[in-house]
Amino acid sequence: MHLDGNVVTLTYWPAPNPQEIELADTIVSRWNRLHPQIQVQMQPIPVSQSTEEVLLAAIAGKTTPDVCSNINPVALRSYTQAGGLVALDTFSDFDSIAAARIPKELLSIFKTSDGHYYQMPWKTNPVMMFYNIDMLHAAGIEKPPRTYSEYLADAGKVTRDTNGDGQMDIWMGERDIRPIWWERLFDIYPFYIAASNGETLFRNDTVAFENHDAEQVFGFFQQCYGHGYFPRTFFQGGDPFLLGRKATHFAGPWEIAAISKFSPDMRFDVAPLPVPDDHQGPVYTSGDYKNIAIFSTSKHPKEAWEFVKFLITAKHDLLLLEITNQVPVRGDLLTDPLFAHYFVKNPLMVKFAKQAVYTRGMDTVADLKEIFDAISQEYETCAVYGRISPAEAVRDAARRTRAIIEWNQ
Amino acid sequence: MSYKINFIKAIRHSEKNSYWFILPYVIFFLLFVAYPLVFSFILIFHRWNVVTPMEWVGLKNFKRMFSDPQFFKAMINTFVFLLIHIPLQIGVALGFSLLLYSKGAMRGFFRAVYFLPVIVSGVVVTILWQNLYSYDSGVLNSLLNVFGLPKVPWLIDPDIAMPSIAVMATWKNVGIYIVLFLVGLQNIPKEMYESASLDGAGKYSQFFKITLPMLNSTMVLIVVLSTIGGFSLFIEPYVLTGGGPMQSTMSGMLYIYNQAFYFGHMGYAAALGFVFALVILSVVLLQRKVVEADSV
Repeated sequence: MHLDGNVVTLTYWPAPNPQEIELADTIVSRWNRLHPQIQVQMQPIPVSQSTEEVLLAAIAGKTTPDVCSNINPVALRSYTQAGGLVALDTFSDFDSIAAARIPKELLSIFKTSDGHYYQMPWKTNPVMMFYNIDMLHAAGIEKPPRTYSEYLADAGKVTRDTNGDGQMDIWMGERDIRPIWWERLFDIYPFYIAASNGETLFRNDTVAFENHDAEQVFGFFQQCYGHGYFPRTFFQGGDPFLLGRKATHFAGPWEIAAISKFSPDMRFDVAPLPVPDDHQGPVYTSGDYKNIAIFSTSKHPKEAWEFVKFLITAKHDLLLLEITNQVPVRGDLLTDPLFAHYFVKNPLMVKFAKQAVYTRGMDTVADLKEIFDAISQEYETCAVYGRISPAEAVRDAARRTRAIIEWNQ
Repeated sequence: MSYKINFIKAIRHSEKNSYWFILPYVIFFLLFVAYPLVFSFILIFHRWNVVTPMEWVGLKNFKRMFSDPQFFKAMINTFVFLLIHIPLQIGVALGFSLLLYSKGAMRGFFRAVYFLPVIVSGVVVTILWQNLYSYDSGVLNSLLNVFGLPKVPWLIDPDIAMPSIAVMATWKNVGIYIVLFLVGLQNIPKEMYESASLDGAGKYSQFFKITLPMLNSTMVLIVVLSTIGGFSLFIEPYVLTGGGPMQSTMSGMLYIYNQAFYFGHMGYAAALGFVFALVILSVVLLQRKVVEADSV
């Protein structure tokens, strides 16, 4: 950031995908027209293996932008530990702005353990169950499964050998069998949130998932692999859902664009994630939240905060929906008439918008990557290979997670 | 001018001038050996993720290590690899060196062929074997299919993955050990075989009574080199399996790498590396003692 005469220049890093660059470009052009004295330069986050690595390197090198809108809550602890972020609740109008936008209960999950808010919740992608209508119909199934029992019963009808070579060709579902930590964000983690009625893995920085709900989730996936409803192999050559090789797929709204592009003839719909048979109440899930933060290298945090507020206006949230098909984190999505036309045009997105209210993010504990790696190892051993029981898997994952947490204290 | 000449003369005649000649090595040693060693030793007592400042944690890294089942799993995996790899390596290398030592046609050609994998990049070799081992489309399973045999899950079965990697590592490294055995074989005096032959010793007795004992020093060298090489197992599981399935191919080195560069735990990785180095040293000392004692 620099000053040219009396003009303040802010740097803004959005995510480097084409849709978000287009969105950022539009919003920044509007801002620059309205604020000749505070000019914003948009520069997509440098492409790397992950945004988190780029931001950490930028913090270390003191080359961070003023504002970034691709803050993953998982990595927030690393940024704050490095002293890289401005506490947004130090701005006098933070509380009113946040309260007007986000339900109080949802907002509270973004508070860090020091009691501050370093991120403005911006958008999310609730993980839901996509299903191929024709594949379910072909197996005589009219409605998507709602519970584990229904899912497993339907799986028995859908999974079959179509060419008679003795090998299954289509399956009810499929997950990458490699223990890659972020893969758990699309199976164990959202399923645990769903089974536990919205609980996340930690409560007050202590492990809270060593319970029956987690065992049920591990048990469900163990049955999926054990009965052969999920293939125990690594698929090469494309997404099996898009190729019509599996009937259900757990993903966020970005999948809609992928289906439209690569499998335009597929008839599909979305439904909440399957839950244990005795589940009561709404079905929660997890969401890949991306939030907005101001970096402490900013010499004009007040101006940066004004720009953040501009980014999250209702008008720009509508633009976010229209350009990226991602769900803004706000409580009035389905009630504000401003968004009505969009949802009429995109009825599937109504389901994601409804789900967004029952979507949980990630805990902001340290070393979440390694914690998810530990859970992944247990998922592989218990669910994929069936070598240990769900209770053992949950116990071992909890034990290793405690060791990681303890080491970090 | 005369001052300069006197200075050069003084240098030339000084006993200290030899230090100038070792200076390049001293600089290299300080930069690339001493500094990393000292820095890693300091890291052992810290928590550091490269970005945030180092934090003193005392012996916490060791405390975590001794209660870390993943570390012990990685150590056991490494020993499993060594148990398969070293005997296989020695057996194959010795067998081929005996064949190549005999007077056969195209001996030079085959010596070069067996050495080729040694000079090819480890990553290239691993990718090649990935195609051989692939479950659905691999060459090995296609061959098995031709003979009506079932497919083998070379890399996706936790019980088979590490032996598969050991076979691949043997193929990659055996060339260098063949050369070492050939050197050892050339150093055995021919007269010993002649006199044994005159005394009525057959090929079998000659091998066990002359060849093997005379190759003992080579054997010690090969066991030590294979052990150190085996403990460094990294590229093969990193590229082929990522340490899976079920962490069955997670080697000690791969675990240390993951802790350092995947999870950003530089201090913990340094502590793991320190203990790992001690384990290697102990195993090598023990091996030397056992192998050398056997030869007495």
